[in-house]
Amino acid sequence: MELHICHLYPDLLNSYGDIGNILIMKHRAKKRGIEVIVHNITINDPFEPDLYDIVFFGGGQDFEQSIVSADLKENKRDAIKQYVEDGKVLIAICGGYQLLGKYYMSANDEKLEGLDVLDIYTEKGDHRAINNLIIQDQDHYYVGFENHSGKTHINGLTPLGTVKYGFGNNGDDQQEGCRYKNTIGTYLHGPLFSKNPELCDEILLSALNLKYGEVEFSPLDDTFEMKAKQAILDRYLKS
Amino acid sequence: MIQSTLAILASKSASFILKKGFKKGTSLPGKIASKICPDIMRHVSKRVKIVLITGTNGKTTTTSMVYHMADKTKVPAFSNISGANMEWGIITSFIDHYRFFKKEEKTAIIEIDEANVPLICRYVKPDIICITNLFRDQLDRYGEVYTTLEKIMKGVAYHQDTLLILNGDEPLLGHLDCPNPKRYYGFNVSYDQDQQIEMNTDAKHCIVCKHPYDYDFVTYNHLGKYHCPNCGYERPALDDAVEAILEMKPYGSKVIINKEEYTISQAGLYNIYNALCAYSIGEALAIDHTIIKDVLENQESRFGRQEVIQLEDKKMTIFLVKNPAGFNQTIDTIALDQEPFTCLFMLNDRYADGTDVSWIYDVHLENLAKLPIKEYIIGGIRAYDMAVRLKIATGKSDHLNVYEDYEAITKAVLAAPTPHVYATLTYTAMLEYRKYLENAGYIKDYWR
Repeated sequence: MELHICHLYPDLLNSYGDIGNILIMKHRAKKRGIEVIVHNITINDPFEPDLYDIVFFGGGQDFEQSIVSADLKENKRDAIKQYVEDGKVLIAICGGYQLLGKYYMSANDEKLEGLDVLDIYTEKGDHRAINNLIIQDQDHYYVGFENHSGKTHINGLTPLGTVKYGFGNNGDDQQEGCRYKNTIGTYLHGPLFSKNPELCDEILLSALNLKYGEVEFSPLDDTFEMKAKQAILDRYLKS
Repeated sequence: MIQSTLAILASKSASFILKKGFKKGTSLPGKIASKICPDIMRHVSKRVKIVLITGTNGKTTTTSMVYHMADKTKVPAFSNISGANMEWGIITSFIDHYRFFKKEEKTAIIEIDEANVPLICRYVKPDIICITNLFRDQLDRYGEVYTTLEKIMKGVAYHQDTLLILNGDEPLLGHLDCPNPKRYYGFNVSYDQDQQIEMNTDAKHCIVCKHPYDYDFVTYNHLGKYHCPNCGYERPALDDAVEAILEMKPYGSKVIINKEEYTISQAGLYNIYNALCAYSIGEALAIDHTIIKDVLENQESRFGRQEVIQLEDKKMTIFLVKNPAGFNQTIDTIALDQEPFTCLFMLNDRYADGTDVSWIYDVHLENLAKLPIKEYIIGGIRAYDMAVRLKIATGKSDHLNVYEDYEAITKAVLAAPTPHVYATLTYTAMLEYRKYLENAGYIKDYWR
């Protein structure tokens, strides 16, 4: 089996160590004998929805994000929307998450059009949330680090989790991230998969199931990952 | 005048008491002085020639090199190398060296935090401002490289005739919108011609037209001989250049700068940059070449910068790691060693370390897999985050040993299978571990 991962703008949207998510997906797939091919897709490259099994969309600095936004609109928007609507797997973090929405307000009150792939929008916040972030999804926790000033509203979409510590989407409704079909948006850096290997496996399995039918995974030794997660839970969720 | 005298006296008293009581100076005396007299810097910097050294990496080592050069000239010099590099720390350092009744010329070689450049420049005119480089730093504290540059330039804008000494290989510094005289330093050769621009770095797109740069060669990170194929923006002509790298060893390097050979006692490519930068400032200060040569050849390691600590029969070299560019240079420097060695990693997430530890994924720890590392020892507040990172980098976990306290770490170091241990420690991990080693009697003289 093989997985094709599309890394969108790895040369431009590469802040906060999010490239770690690609490294971790590769590692975890390889341990299961699955070959991973990463396609680095940047300015002027075509986005080929049929080729990819997983799309990864990170965030960047304002200068780099301004280079990206024009290219997204001109060259990739329709294809990405098609990919998401077809129920294929996409993971978007921070700036990438915001860009999937209808619009976001920049720090200097400029209304920047998003890709309009998800029915969400991001308002300007009055302070920047820079802290560890813990969310709960049913019986388990996801932990990471958030660093954003935007306040995102997800209009009734399913959140990725409920905020237990930190700010989350907007600091008001205790929601963090969102799920739509097989697309996940989130503010969790850390990188996301470094302390949430179960979420990484869920994403790998979704992609494999779509491609190959029912696939089963052997468990991996996640002692370090779980201890790293537990250290954050112990620190911030003292009852 | 009375106000400034009072401020200096209050500050000096505080400094005296703090040093007597706690064996170390802090930035408190500077804080006291500036509360009493906000423009105290004006008063304590009279007759002082000021050199400010800023930028993401290399500040401490470069400042130390230049200070030692300046100190060997006829004009007395001082520096804040053992102190703090923010506004109040710098004021403290000036007040400590201020004499009420002795009016003499002095040179101040000052390391300054990027965001603090305007805070000092609003009161005094530096003779030289030097910017070493601008790399992605701890994003929870510093924000983006462009924001950092803006802050520095806000300080520069106060003084249009201050000489700027700039890293010419840094694409963010070749197109500054200011009339100041500029002196550029850089490399005319690359150590590794095959070095490519890394995908996962900043500032690879033209600051003028946003098109990707082409590089004749990359030295490291986004530094190198760049030009923009779209708008023609290119690396400025170099005033001071490394023309050849004759030798790079774990104990130092030999290079040709402006046709003369220099030995640099601090290992690694990044220290050639530091030495070149110090050379360039030395030239601007008209310091004799024999002094420059002597200092670069005999420069001793600073606090945690390739500092060697002997732990019984183990030699431990400590590298302070703060951001991806610096950590990558550390790995490249360790890689110069051909003999088998042990590696110690300590990752903390206090404010001074950066509270977001994600940045370790921007470090090429994958390169460790090729090195003769006999054992991995891992510690720090975020030891398990580092363990996950090293597992991903090396593809396995059974060789990674995590220890939860300094005693256990030290036992592991003493029991290491090799005589040499390389330690990469984040800032507070370095301070705390040094303190532990001092209290446990392994090392002396914690302060300085």
